[in-house]
Amino acid sequence: MMNFTQYKAKNNPVEAVNLAVEAAMKANTKLNAVVTMVDPGEQLNRLDQYAGGKMFGIPIALKDNVNTSGVLTTAGSRILGNYVPQYDATIAEKLREAGAIVIAKSSLDEFGMGGSNLSAATGPVYNPYDLSRMSGGSSGGSAVLVASGVVPFAIGSDTGDSVRKPASYNGIVGYKPTYGRISRYGIIPYASSLDHVAFFTRNITDAAIALEVLSGRDDRDMTSLQLPVEDYASLLNPSLEGKKIGILTNVLKAITNPEIQAHFANLVARLKEQGATIVDIEMNQDLLSAILPTYYIIANAEATANHSNLDGLRFGVQKDGKEIDEVMSASRTAGFGKQIRKRFVIGSYALFVENQDKLFRKAQKVRRLIVEDLKHALSDIDGLIAPASAGVAPKLTDTSMDQLSSTYLIAENYMVMGNFSGYPSVTLPMGYCDGLPVGVNLTCKLYDEQTTLNLALAIEQATGLADQIKEVA
Amino acid sequence: MNRYEPEYFKTLAKQLRFSLSDEEARAIADEFGVLLDQMDLLDKIDTEGVEEMVYPIEAETSFMREDEVGHTFTVEQALFNAPRQANDHFVTVKVVG
Repeated sequence: MMNFTQYKAKNNPVEAVNLAVEAAMKANTKLNAVVTMVDPGEQLNRLDQYAGGKMFGIPIALKDNVNTSGVLTTAGSRILGNYVPQYDATIAEKLREAGAIVIAKSSLDEFGMGGSNLSAATGPVYNPYDLSRMSGGSSGGSAVLVASGVVPFAIGSDTGDSVRKPASYNGIVGYKPTYGRISRYGIIPYASSLDHVAFFTRNITDAAIALEVLSGRDDRDMTSLQLPVEDYASLLNPSLEGKKIGILTNVLKAITNPEIQAHFANLVARLKEQGATIVDIEMNQDLLSAILPTYYIIANAEATANHSNLDGLRFGVQKDGKEIDEVMSASRTAGFGKQIRKRFVIGSYALFVENQDKLFRKAQKVRRLIVEDLKHALSDIDGLIAPASAGVAPKLTDTSMDQLSSTYLIAENYMVMGNFSGYPSVTLPMGYCDGLPVGVNLTCKLYDEQTTLNLALAIEQATGLADQIKEVA
Repeated sequence: MNRYEPEYFKTLAKQLRFSLSDEEARAIADEFGVLLDQMDLLDKIDTEGVEEMVYPIEAETSFMREDEVGHTFTVEQALFNAPRQANDHFVTVKVVG
């Protein structure tokens, strides 16, 4: 299995793509990761015009909430089960112009609204390390296609931790850049103030190259940053001399799994050996405990509004009715899964006039306090690290965790801070517990992608866990 | 005891233009207690004088563009995904008497 540089050196896109298509079809019988296979023929025919592209000839997958002209795009929902976009998302254009070849549209939790990939209209995605376990979500299909060696790169989106958590469960890199760094034009939304385009690779150097390809101002996305694209890959520098890394102790205290604690302690010891100064950082415990409910209120309220256009009238699957209200209700009832309808109800509850001050506006204020606390935590350090989850990928049927425990509220959900703040954040492999991968998460200052990538590369060198693959038989 | 009856969630769903089965409404009512307990965690936090945070980056990213046509759709493209269409229009059931 190759990295970007090896693909380019081999310079045989037809063979690479054919192998990836074959691998995808084979792996999919076990993983259920693909919604639609994309015929690469036309892309290969016009590939010559993109010679020299930074991802030339590399087979990739896109999460199925990325609009692709002429290719079915469902967002994991029955209501878009027949939707064929008539335009490309900006990132689809950018990847094409860099020479990448899309071979598959990958499964996701319906509209990205979940962390398990169990709510996908096409059914659960299975973890390649143990098929009885979940991939994590919402970008589960993309995660397992990279982890199983089918493609070296796949697009995801990250509204809570929807790339960074599955990266941990599947032993790969999940990179979420600064909010606005990558255009969201043409991405079917979940919650606009939290949605980020993010992606999976198997090593940090590939992540740096991909970020160069994907970044940049896009006038079609009003939240797109007006900042230049830097040469992230050529500027990569893993030196930890003079670097100060903070350990988020609230998360460590909330984790009860001794193996994860041991892997993290080993990593910290190696980072010290490489010259880093390590300091403990304790954030406000009440604020961290409030991350999940704050997220739930804001994300579901925004989603309720964002998806009000899905009514079966102008696009999507329509059900019959005698009156227009009946058509909309029948289409939305049949089109949305039960998890999503539940979330819309919660979002609507938070937006009721009588609840707006107590819930919605309160959550927006708490969000500011959480971001200010994170900013303060990062003020004197270069990056903040902690295990990316409290455990390995759960079993598909596991719902045993106490949802008011700090293990759940903090250790399983603290990475949402990266979405509240928009700060760059990356998860990468840290070790294995009984053969199942666990990751470490790193968050850095706003806009500072280079430090994020540099520290992540140092972590990758410390663990020696670049290019991890788990093929499925 | 649940703080809201299943019927309450059915009413909310109706306002959102979808329906819930009896079983779905009961499941939400059962779960809602935990959600409200989680939401109560916000009450521990003093937000007096704090301004709402609507977007993570509050720097200006909008702009005035030149008044030029760009990124347009043809009628065919606009109607491509329409469940029903006729004479270059979307077709729905009758909305006026």
